[in-house]
Amino acid sequence: MSSASFETIATEGTSPGYWSGVLRRLGRDPVAMFALLVILAMVLMAVFAPLIGPADPYRGQMLRRLRPIGTPGFPLGTDELGRDMLTRLIYGARLSLLMGVTPVFIAFFIGSAIGITAGYLGGKVNTVLMRTVDVFFAFPSVLLAIALSGALGAGIFNGLLSLTIVFIPPIARIAESVTTAVRKIEYVEAARASGASALTIVRVHVLGNVIGPIFVYATGLISVSLILASGLSFLGLGVKPPEPEWGLMLNTLRNAIYVQPWVAALPGAMIFITSISFNLLSDGLRSAMDLKS
Amino acid sequence: MSAPTSARTLSPAADASALTAGPLLSINGLTKHFPLKGGLFGQSRGVVRAVDGINFDVAEGETLGIVGESGCGKSTTARLLVDLISPDSGSVILGGRTLGVDLTVRDLRRQVQMVFQDSYASLNPRLTMQDAIAFGPMVNGMARDKAVALARDLLARVGLDPGRFAGRYPHELSGGQRQRVNIARALAFSPKIVVLDEAVSALDKSVEAQVLNLLADLKAELGLTYIFISHDLNVVRYMSDRVMVMYLGQVAEIGPVDALYAAPAHPYSQALLAAMPSMDPDRRTMEAPLAGDPPNPINPPSGCRFHTRCRQADGVCSVTVPVLHALPQKGHLASCHLHIPGSGHTGAAPRRELAP
Repeated sequence: MSSASFETIATEGTSPGYWSGVLRRLGRDPVAMFALLVILAMVLMAVFAPLIGPADPYRGQMLRRLRPIGTPGFPLGTDELGRDMLTRLIYGARLSLLMGVTPVFIAFFIGSAIGITAGYLGGKVNTVLMRTVDVFFAFPSVLLAIALSGALGAGIFNGLLSLTIVFIPPIARIAESVTTAVRKIEYVEAARASGASALTIVRVHVLGNVIGPIFVYATGLISVSLILASGLSFLGLGVKPPEPEWGLMLNTLRNAIYVQPWVAALPGAMIFITSISFNLLSDGLRSAMDLKS
Repeated sequence: MSAPTSARTLSPAADASALTAGPLLSINGLTKHFPLKGGLFGQSRGVVRAVDGINFDVAEGETLGIVGESGCGKSTTARLLVDLISPDSGSVILGGRTLGVDLTVRDLRRQVQMVFQDSYASLNPRLTMQDAIAFGPMVNGMARDKAVALARDLLARVGLDPGRFAGRYPHELSGGQRQRVNIARALAFSPKIVVLDEAVSALDKSVEAQVLNLLADLKAELGLTYIFISHDLNVVRYMSDRVMVMYLGQVAEIGPVDALYAAPAHPYSQALLAAMPSMDPDRRTMEAPLAGDPPNPINPPSGCRFHTRCRQADGVCSVTVPVLHALPQKGHLASCHLHIPGSGHTGAAPRRELAP
């Protein structure tokens, strides 16, 4: 079979209207659209931080430490070193989105590939792949991230790498179970009876029906990734002070929780808003991908 | 349902070709045992003898019905015929070429296609009807525009207006319409044989009749050969030229539909046909023709597998496995000691010089 027919059936073949239909249905979902707007705002904030940020995120003034929200000149107060919270929250979006989204994004591809391969082929391939995944799964994710980061050494890249490794096993597990279920449905058998190769069947018949649940699950991991990244930063294994990163800021401000609780809670609020936006968007995407709705 | 004989008269040449040209499909000693794995290390805990050494021929242009209780191996047989599962032993010979020797799986699948029972599960929920039908030809090298044209043509052929149905998704169709699409998908390969595995069983009666008539029309138009698997004896009678009765993975009886329905030879076939609901109140079955469930195919009974439930079982039945034996009527075979002369069964005829 030619690779050209491959391409057409995988893209147009999934019907030209399918993905535009998904987008159209997503556009009609007010909650998902709101979440998307919040995420876009976060991204824009990260990209244009130097233009929006009213102050220098690194320069602190010891006399103006821990000012409350609403202080003139410091609309969201100052942190424990007297730095402007608003500026640091805006700049924090850069590293936080990087640390939160990138590992999940990469793990989504690798984990899905492992899980779909194991689920579709089954048998011994499944056993080997999934037992290997289980070895990683056996460790608590925080411990695994710390151990990997510790072994690889500090730094943002190593932090990203260890977080990616942490998120591959759960995504692979979900992908495997969804694929195993889809593989037994008769349309996959019918496709096999048509003489199509395993790769074609996976691309045309399996992928579209499993990627939704995997994607929804993966977006839920973004919030976990944000928290884990902050934990690594706190231990000196990920982002280091004085870099603004929401998780790290949450950790360093936790001593001030009795002095300025609202200011100390701000980075947590940012993490919360970001992760719930991703969750709502993925929920909306799931219903938009469901043709029966 | 219309006159019950119309389907059979569509293929008047079936009987003749079965004897002269040799069978289109020939199944010899086909066996499939599913290992039962269990325990911590997946040790084998025995096998399910789903299909255990079956032989039958299918002539070009005929419809072979396969009937039997749940779990008798009907569907496993169907899946073996299109190589969705590989047999443990036995051979599938299509048009004189043996699968695995001079016939590839790919060639087999082009010539033998299957329609499944569950019309909804058989269709990818994310593919439109025309894409679902075009998929098979495309993976076999047909250009997309040609495959789509073929798909639309086939939709029209199975009675669905391509203008209305080509772009629809499975959930936008009724069960009968979906099954028509599944039939169209099977026909996209221009197959010689279509295996219909309970293809109409999930449809309600009026839709079932329409689909059966469609199948009969397609057979006449395209010169197809059907292997029609069903648990509905009336439907099998309507559709088939010959019928094969299966019990616990083996062939109990095989023969022309009229002869077998009129005079079933195997006690199991007799019980099965007696279990058919009668329309005549004077001929109601007052007593269950057969009690209990089929024995476990993991440890099937010794000798004749039916002897545990058979009213005419004799000593020999639990010891010797009966082989398919020709009955007086042409093409009618049964595997029962009662009908094997000299088998040792008290009801059997004494041994003759030569079996007829």
